[in-house]
Amino acid sequence: MTSAVTSGVAALINDRDTTKVLVTTDASGVPHAAVTDFVQCGEDGRILYFEPLESSVANRNLTASIWFDRQVSIALRTPADERFHIGARPLRALVAGPAFQRHYDAFRARFGDLDLATVWVLQPERVDDQDFEQARRRQAEDRPFFQHLDRIARHASP
Amino acid sequence: MGFAQLKDVAPGRREFNETVSGHPDFPQLIALKIDVQRRGVHYTDQALSMVDAEIHQLRSANIFGTRDAVLRPQLPDSLLLRDGTSIVVDPSPLDHDPYFVDLIDGRLFLVDAGEVLEEVDLWHKPRFYDKFTRSGIPMNLVAQARPQRINLFLSSYCHFWAKDDGGCKFCDIVNFGKQQKSIFAGKPNRPRPADIAETVREALRERGRFTTFCITGGSVLKGGELFDVEVSHYIETLQAIGENFSTRKFPSQIVASAFNERQLSRLYEETGLSSYTTDLEVLDERLFQWICPGKAEHVGYKEWRSRLIRAVDIFGRGYVNTGIVGGIELARPHGFRTEAEGLARTLDEAEFLAENGVSTIHTVWVPRPGSTFGDQTAPSLDYYIRLAKGLHALRVKYRLRVDFDDYRRCGNHPDTDLARLL
Repeated sequence: MTSAVTSGVAALINDRDTTKVLVTTDASGVPHAAVTDFVQCGEDGRILYFEPLESSVANRNLTASIWFDRQVSIALRTPADERFHIGARPLRALVAGPAFQRHYDAFRARFGDLDLATVWVLQPERVDDQDFEQARRRQAEDRPFFQHLDRIARHASP
Repeated sequence: MGFAQLKDVAPGRREFNETVSGHPDFPQLIALKIDVQRRGVHYTDQALSMVDAEIHQLRSANIFGTRDAVLRPQLPDSLLLRDGTSIVVDPSPLDHDPYFVDLIDGRLFLVDAGEVLEEVDLWHKPRFYDKFTRSGIPMNLVAQARPQRINLFLSSYCHFWAKDDGGCKFCDIVNFGKQQKSIFAGKPNRPRPADIAETVREALRERGRFTTFCITGGSVLKGGELFDVEVSHYIETLQAIGENFSTRKFPSQIVASAFNERQLSRLYEETGLSSYTTDLEVLDERLFQWICPGKAEHVGYKEWRSRLIRAVDIFGRGYVNTGIVGGIELARPHGFRTEAEGLARTLDEAEFLAENGVSTIHTVWVPRPGSTFGDQTAPSLDYYIRLAKGLHALRVKYRLRVDFDDYRRCGNHPDTDLARLL
């Protein structure tokens, strides 16, 4: 399966200085957002989320997502203020086996004495460039009704 | 034999689809696990061609037996689904309408009635399986593994069986123990503490592999008080395990007889044990007397239940549970006549236990040939989904955790798989 993630976006995901926010929903649809350092993009274009806490809201919500086939989101903001949104679906929860154990060692080598509960394998389905200036210009051109009149009035109030 | 030649022997697909469509709030992966446990599996020759004894865990020494009275140690132990759910499952005869595990494009899938359902992984063999203790015993005969748990079986003999018809009617522990003696010839009747300590030390070298221990065995009635000798066996085992830990307590479970408060206090105070399970098997006193005559005679239903509740004072809420063999409450001829009646009675009694801090967890009943109930039939998939949902709902209602017996620490209880959402 071709990934929606380009090599450029993959590099941003793997850049430690990029801020990443994982957004999940619980079984009732209640959203939860968490800033995380534990996201990585693999060579196959799939995203790996390393969950150190078995009891975290994100871990529970990802379980609900894989069970009920629901999307999760990852928002990125780079130091250069580039912004992306990635819609993804959990494909697999690695909790045991040789691949899990390799991740366990690598995770602890990087982050120290943390446990590793689950490696969530996420299949990206869409990537949206969320550059604000581009979005603003696009709306101004495509949706001219979406503005307040005072902003374009000849004698605008101060 | 490949799947293509055998697809007509698995007619349960319609029942599965109709049942899960009636439970949209229940995860289909857990419904699939239940149904695979109900019907068993058949590994096609193509699937078996990729089984590697160097990598995969084959069927190990165990405490309970097979579905077809034949132990095939060359077959894979069990399966993992893509959400991390374990399916603890035995190979099943073809006339039992099993699911197929087949090889498709180099990967293993569950297949039923021509429909490719889900990719599965085989359990991987822990490294200690290839090692020997200094006394020369293969470590895989001292301890066995689930994907993230170390199992220790202290005895394949249950003293309730000493009296005719004293053993639980769904259980084949003694018959299976005799059967596997010829295959696992070097297996000690009860592993020595030194061998246990050494095996655990070796197992813990494998980083990220294990999260808990489960120690169990047949009931031992001997001692100054009933079960005193059994308690001593657990204490010496747990102390041997504990030599390997820097903390006084470590994640662990025993599935044992119903001990009194003095015995439970000894276990808690003298070992690193952190949870306690004693199985009522069926949540109805009349059926308990019929199905578990040995337990009924020596302890009795109400006293067994009372000991569970008193154990909460020692181990704490969320660290004591009881197992039931889901479905035996419908066994013929004395069981409940309808699934609705069986479910209502079971959940009613489970609620009484939950109110008192005791969790109830269920297995899927597999009528084993070596048991008195060997020719009976387990109830419907719908029954098990309702049972799992009902037991989970009680844990939600009474805020009971079941961390020590969940999808990772055990993997054999559909209701505690749902605890991943708690």
